[in-house]
Amino acid sequence: MPANRTSSLVGREGLGGPYFLLTFLHTETAREARPGQFVMIKAGASAEPPLRRPFSILEASPERETFTLFVKAIGPGSRALVSLPQGGVAQCLGPLGRPFTSPTGDSEALLVGGGYGVAPFSFLGAELARQGSRARLFYGGRTAAELPLLARLRQQGLEVVPATEDGSLGSAGRVTVPLEAHLDTAAGPHRLYACGPEAMMHAVARIAAARGLAAQVSLDPWMGCGVGTCLGCVVRIQGSGDGRWKYRCACTEGPVFDAARVVWPGEGESHARRAPGGRL
Amino acid sequence: MKLAVEVAGIRLKNPLLAASGTFGYGVEYEGLLDLSELGGIVSKGLYLEPRDGAPTPRIAETPTGLLNAIGLQGIGIHAFVKDVLPRLRQHDTALLVNVCGDTVEEYAEVSRICDGAPGIAGLEINISCPNVKQGGMAFGGDPRMTHAVVAAVRGVTRLPVIPKLSPNVGDITVFARAAEEAGADALSCINTLLGLAIDVETRRPRLGFGTGGLSGPAIRPIAVRMAWQAARAVKIPVIGIGGIASAEDALEFLVAGCRAVQIGTANFVEPKVYEQVLSGLRAYLERHGKSDIAEVVGTLEYPGEAGESETGATP
Repeated sequence: MPANRTSSLVGREGLGGPYFLLTFLHTETAREARPGQFVMIKAGASAEPPLRRPFSILEASPERETFTLFVKAIGPGSRALVSLPQGGVAQCLGPLGRPFTSPTGDSEALLVGGGYGVAPFSFLGAELARQGSRARLFYGGRTAAELPLLARLRQQGLEVVPATEDGSLGSAGRVTVPLEAHLDTAAGPHRLYACGPEAMMHAVARIAAARGLAAQVSLDPWMGCGVGTCLGCVVRIQGSGDGRWKYRCACTEGPVFDAARVVWPGEGESHARRAPGGRL
Repeated sequence: MKLAVEVAGIRLKNPLLAASGTFGYGVEYEGLLDLSELGGIVSKGLYLEPRDGAPTPRIAETPTGLLNAIGLQGIGIHAFVKDVLPRLRQHDTALLVNVCGDTVEEYAEVSRICDGAPGIAGLEINISCPNVKQGGMAFGGDPRMTHAVVAAVRGVTRLPVIPKLSPNVGDITVFARAAEEAGADALSCINTLLGLAIDVETRRPRLGFGTGGLSGPAIRPIAVRMAWQAARAVKIPVIGIGGIASAEDALEFLVAGCRAVQIGTANFVEPKVYEQVLSGLRAYLERHGKSDIAEVVGTLEYPGEAGESETGATP
């Protein structure tokens, strides 16, 4: 059951540039959160910016009653969060949304994270490790500076394959290049998980479809409420019956969806929160 | 201390209602707050049949405001009465349905269905949604159409009929009077203001529908002014809506002449807003030596009008 309460900042670690790890006290989220779930959070109680922001949970610690977020400060909401002092108060509602479902049998989980979209994969990676599942993370960004979690993810024991578009770290080009190379050579079965820019998730969905693999994506539209009342965060999801798509709330029916069911934007409609305007 | 008020024959345990479109069907908030603490809940807009709503993106943040074009996505009145109402009725709060239609006949039909459904306290008639191509604002932007819709609904129900007026008009008093003449029992003032936000990088609107409705603290002074104008123009009660996020905000509308208020966008920001506003209202009454919230309603001392102290003191 999600809880709405004030939540104080107990840990703040700069990762260089606009990237921060923020740790908050929040008993319910700490105890109940599953990988892929998120919180709606806002620093303080000021009128500006008006809305809370959704953030994937990077990790949760039931013992310490805390959860941690990976935040890229690029707009008024995220900047206010990273500017909170130690002990500063945020309004936090969580845990929210449907989590990733774990692989069954002996399949290898391939996680694909782009930019700050890598956020849920520390949590998922840890859970998969605990279950004894094989897992590998393909972590992409434009430059090495966009992969600030690399060392930390490796430290937690996750197998990470970095990729940068400028070739400054790992393989050069899109993150789907090493993903496809791995799929071509490594023993399956495989199961895909993706979170990041819409174009990247769409590419992963196409790869999964072409190879007959199951894939889950975590979508990131603008959200108003987080609990399914404003209907602002809807995404187009194909039904199982008549094949007609329906608008589904990313907050309550997602953010994790079966990639094969997502109607990817073609003509004008976008599910992505980063553009337009880029205000977060 | 008395916070209970009566609007159009509906008894509200306090003057705070959840505004349509910002509180879903109410049940979504069951685990997060005690719904029986609310004076009332106005449902998401309901047509006869389910609606898909507007293309995405549907919301955009603006300075202290929210621009939305949801397009009245909804489950339709049949599903509401069958699946939601029985559960919602378990809470001790007044339940109002926000009635939508593409035609006058559809408004009447939805209202007729509500009339036969136990547990509905009143009907808010949505003639002011800016985000649908038919109905909505088309009825709220022409006083003859406003009259026609309200009269049609009036003819099929004994439930209180409360048209929700649009601010996207030149003179809201014309619409307030048209609604009153057609048999409205109260008015909800106001719906969202028509707005447009543009992403200059792509040179496209930030919303999939194009234009949207602006809400939140950004519109509050406009809302207070229009609710005040409407309240002075008619004898029926007015429910004030527009950017309320605190007790002081709610009090502005009450002082301006509104019998009750609705909280909208603030629900998204802080679901506990009712608790905060109620305790603020109690503190205000105490500070001003009043025992009944009704003593605050319509007490505005407007410059140049009777009852305004400085004018009275002039020899």
